[in-house]
Amino acid sequence: MLSALIWMPMLGAALIGFWPKGMNPNRSRLIALVAAGAACLWTLVIVSQFNPSHVGQQFSEFIPWIETLGLNYHLGVDGLSLPLLVLNGLLTCIAIYSSDVAIQRFRLYYALVLVLSAGVAGAFLAQDLLLFFLFYELELIPLYLLIAIWGGHRRGYAATKFLIYTAISGILILASFLGIVWLSSNTSFAYDPSRTQTLPLATQALLLLMLLIGFGIKMPLVPLHTWLPDAHVEASTPVSVLLAGVLLKLGTYGLLRFGMGLFPDAWNLLGPWLATWAVVSVLYGSFTAIAQKDMKKMVAFSSIGHMGYVLLAAAAATPLSTLATVLQMVSHGLISALMFLLVGVVYKKTGSRDLDVLSGLLNPERGLPLIGSLMVLGVMASAGTPGMIGFISEFLVFRGSFPVFPVQTLLSMLGTALTAVYFLNLMNRVFFGRLSEQVINLPRVQWSDRYPAIVLAVLIVLFGIQPNWLVHWSEPTTTAMNASFPVLTLRTHNFKFVTSQEGQELFSHAFKRTLALPEIPSPMSHTP
Amino acid sequence: MNLFLFLNSWWVPFYGLIGAIVTLPWAMGTIRRTGPRPAAYFNLLMTVLAFVHSLVVLKDIWNQEPQSFLVTWLKTADLDLSFALDVSPVTVGAAVLITGLSLLAQIYTLGYMEKDWALARFFALMGFFEAALSGLALSDSLFLSYALLEMLTLSTYLLVGFWYAQPLVVTAARDAFLTKRVGDLLLLMGVVALATMAGSLNFSDLNEWAQTANLSPVNATLLGLALIAGPAGKCAQFPLHLWLDEAMEGPNPASVMRNSMVVAGGAFVLFKLQPILSLSPVALNALVVIGTVTAVGASLVSIAQIDIKRALSHSTSAYMGLVFIAVGLQQGGVALVLLFTHAIAKALLFMSAGSVIATTNTQDLTEMGGLWSRMPATTTAYIVGATGMVTLLPLGSFWAKLQWVENFITAPPWLVGVLLLVNGLTSLNLTRVFRLVFWGHSQPKTRRAPEVGWQMALPMVSLTVVTLLVPLLLQQWQLLPSWEAINRLAVVLLVASSATGLAIGSMIHLQRAWSRPIKLSWRVVQDLLSYDFYIDRLYGVTIVSAVALMSRLNAWIDRYVVDGLVNLVGLATIFGGESLKYSSSGQSQTYVLTILLGVCLLGLLVSWPLGFLIGWQF
Repeated sequence: MLSALIWMPMLGAALIGFWPKGMNPNRSRLIALVAAGAACLWTLVIVSQFNPSHVGQQFSEFIPWIETLGLNYHLGVDGLSLPLLVLNGLLTCIAIYSSDVAIQRFRLYYALVLVLSAGVAGAFLAQDLLLFFLFYELELIPLYLLIAIWGGHRRGYAATKFLIYTAISGILILASFLGIVWLSSNTSFAYDPSRTQTLPLATQALLLLMLLIGFGIKMPLVPLHTWLPDAHVEASTPVSVLLAGVLLKLGTYGLLRFGMGLFPDAWNLLGPWLATWAVVSVLYGSFTAIAQKDMKKMVAFSSIGHMGYVLLAAAAATPLSTLATVLQMVSHGLISALMFLLVGVVYKKTGSRDLDVLSGLLNPERGLPLIGSLMVLGVMASAGTPGMIGFISEFLVFRGSFPVFPVQTLLSMLGTALTAVYFLNLMNRVFFGRLSEQVINLPRVQWSDRYPAIVLAVLIVLFGIQPNWLVHWSEPTTTAMNASFPVLTLRTHNFKFVTSQEGQELFSHAFKRTLALPEIPSPMSHTP
Repeated sequence: MNLFLFLNSWWVPFYGLIGAIVTLPWAMGTIRRTGPRPAAYFNLLMTVLAFVHSLVVLKDIWNQEPQSFLVTWLKTADLDLSFALDVSPVTVGAAVLITGLSLLAQIYTLGYMEKDWALARFFALMGFFEAALSGLALSDSLFLSYALLEMLTLSTYLLVGFWYAQPLVVTAARDAFLTKRVGDLLLLMGVVALATMAGSLNFSDLNEWAQTANLSPVNATLLGLALIAGPAGKCAQFPLHLWLDEAMEGPNPASVMRNSMVVAGGAFVLFKLQPILSLSPVALNALVVIGTVTAVGASLVSIAQIDIKRALSHSTSAYMGLVFIAVGLQQGGVALVLLFTHAIAKALLFMSAGSVIATTNTQDLTEMGGLWSRMPATTTAYIVGATGMVTLLPLGSFWAKLQWVENFITAPPWLVGVLLLVNGLTSLNLTRVFRLVFWGHSQPKTRRAPEVGWQMALPMVSLTVVTLLVPLLLQQWQLLPSWEAINRLAVVLLVASSATGLAIGSMIHLQRAWSRPIKLSWRVVQDLLSYDFYIDRLYGVTIVSAVALMSRLNAWIDRYVVDGLVNLVGLATIFGGESLKYSSSGQSQTYVLTILLGVCLLGLLVSWPLGFLIGWQF
């Protein structure tokens, strides 16, 4: 059942790629859309069959593969991966739909997008460490080519940078996975949280650190982020949508699934540092975004800031904040995809993304009024205006993290104000004001340019008004993620105490604890 | 039927929202064939429905106990976000007032913005505005109120930025959003902290919690200050008052709503937060200080304005300052009465100002004059509104301020002085504006000035009547003191201060081509006041430039340090490869040496950290 999510796009890619002859752009586009649409619909079927109250993997598929290596084809889905799978299906459809009809080398293009989607779906589904790694690396190749072939002027630089960064990320993750399996004297790469518990804490911390850097590159976290703005600026719009909407989520997903899931004790130990790292990421991303002149770069830096919230919530590791990570991932996926789509339309129609060149695009006669209105929505959603998904996910992040890391949470909240600063600047410069002389004759915006953005906008508002529809799928899983570990349950216990009537001492205790970052015990102390 | 309406009283805000949503296709220019009128009429219909609905509910529950509804929105992990809705005479009365004023403002819009091509967009925003405001009135949950305040921030941004092609409008909209956002952010911090500490965010639960909570003084103070910041931004209080003045660049019907109801919305939330604020004496004192500074400062600033709307809007800040003082002294009832009377009188003043602007096509006071004979309804509205604002005649504000004085006469007496000063200065300012606009000789722009059409005149005259009836309403609600209980001294003081203001206002020399006083010292004072104590420049050199500097610094570091390092590594690799290629000389001994060195280096690199690992762990 789950395999279809991987193999349907693959089949589509094969069809487009190996069709003997007579493959015109329209037909390959159609095949790609059908394959992606079928995969998307299939995810919805899985959602309808999914039992949210059941904790743990569902629809498991297990095929032994290379037994000597301990690698098995083992798929499964739970409340953490389900929303991301749906996001992947949806955004792939949108990316293909919003691709340029007259694109060059169309067969390769559509095939690569489908392979990319399949790789991401595989990574979200894999229940085997090595299998995850394979899919994680698989997704790298098509994305590299998509940037390197259909990118902007500096596409070679950006693509190579992306490739090197992600390869390093892959090596670190692989090393950590190998360490997990070999140091715990296992032969199988099956995902099993219990066995890392036997490792000494310092080893766990070391392995976790490798994962952190590996996934931190993907997320990305400051200072491992510089590939992202370049990749976004050079990539074409659909690729940007996929990159921001889905691929960055691989980093956070990996961090939650493998970092938090496999090393609860070490996670707890590093928690305060991670929260501080999140603050740095949020503020750095937001401040840098303010100074950007290129709209795409601004949105890219805003991504860095918003992914920082996920790390903050993950570091706090309360039931609420873990749930908030899922919500924030979905929210960022939808909102950043919308922003990139809209920036893409503006670029396509005006030929510029420069804040200094564009102005007055809200003009009802000769501007882009509907795109501008949707931009207002996207900007407000990103800045956390209530009624849209950005607000509730950020609120849950802050509310979930505050009891554990009050100072870091308050500092991260500054990020929402800074988001308002840079996106308002974008609105004011690009859409308000008088239509600039340089871009006075704009081509008409087709409805086909608008549909994908409208779909995303509707989803953003819908989940903002009714977050239950999202929360409902993930809550049991994320609660279970916290409940199964001794240290974290203790923390959960504290947390409940805080919410009770007289939680004052604990609140101030937590406050003091966060101010005085705990020292990591010296690794020497664990020597037997 | 009545029961049905009562049970569905939570529906009141949704009328405006539906109006706004249905209007969207017209607002965004998707439907052009019909013109914007159908959208406008649909919104009017929705507002009428909201008004009638809330009026019926108000009549029903007039003598009943307040009812509370609980709507479960999101319940997850250990978080319970249930919205309590409070249906009591006060809240439904507020909803009636909001929908009623919104109805009048929307009819007014039909005239004021008759020829505006974006009429539909304006009506959509007004519907949104009305929805958020009436939701705020009914909300009994801090979370919901916060959310609605943010929606108000958004709709203020869009309404102020309505004529977005003008540069002043663009900066005004940005400033409105950002200053309010600063307040909202601090409020959100308070909300998050409260949610953690108190567990629930419904006001009734919070009040219970506040009675037993033993917060440390520092925490209580921080919490209180954070909670004040949100309403301070909304009510345009110092130091977040900058936006209201600039927001006058927006269309006038929105200013009517903003100066009467939106600021009151912020104050209403503050009123509801009063029990939590009382946990911290510092927070209460801060309220009094903020209120005093704003009340006096804004009253002074309003006198130096030559823009008719700005002259009135600064006095809104001043009156909200009085409300802040009242809440700071824990006199919530006084605050509410003052909010009510101010809202009606100020709305009327703004309608009158709007009529003047629509007829003369200018907002500059120095270009006006002699309108009294040409625009009688507008002049009447102005006079009634002005008397409703000050304490010369026993209209609304007189009674509100009387209560204020009577309740605070035991408090530090200087507070009464503040009130009298603000009252006197407001009276002076209103007299000054009256003389410049309606009195004196007509000028080129006011020579051919017919009275406005019925779409504007009808709501204006209706509101004039309502303003005159406010004392009767107050009597109906038994908010007026009995004849014997009236404090004579207070009455004398109040009337005297208004009369003084009136007298000075009518005496001072108002030169027509009144740009600059001759004396340098006066000129400095005038500039100081007319530029609002240069507060925007102060922001410019402090917080704005700090953020700008920080962002530029960050971008520089990002580009040249972080990314520079990355590129340096890349460059070094290429350089290494390029230079090593010259080592392929054909001499096998060099190759062997290179291989040996490479293997040694690699071995060292691998075994060194591995040795550490093994040494530590195994």
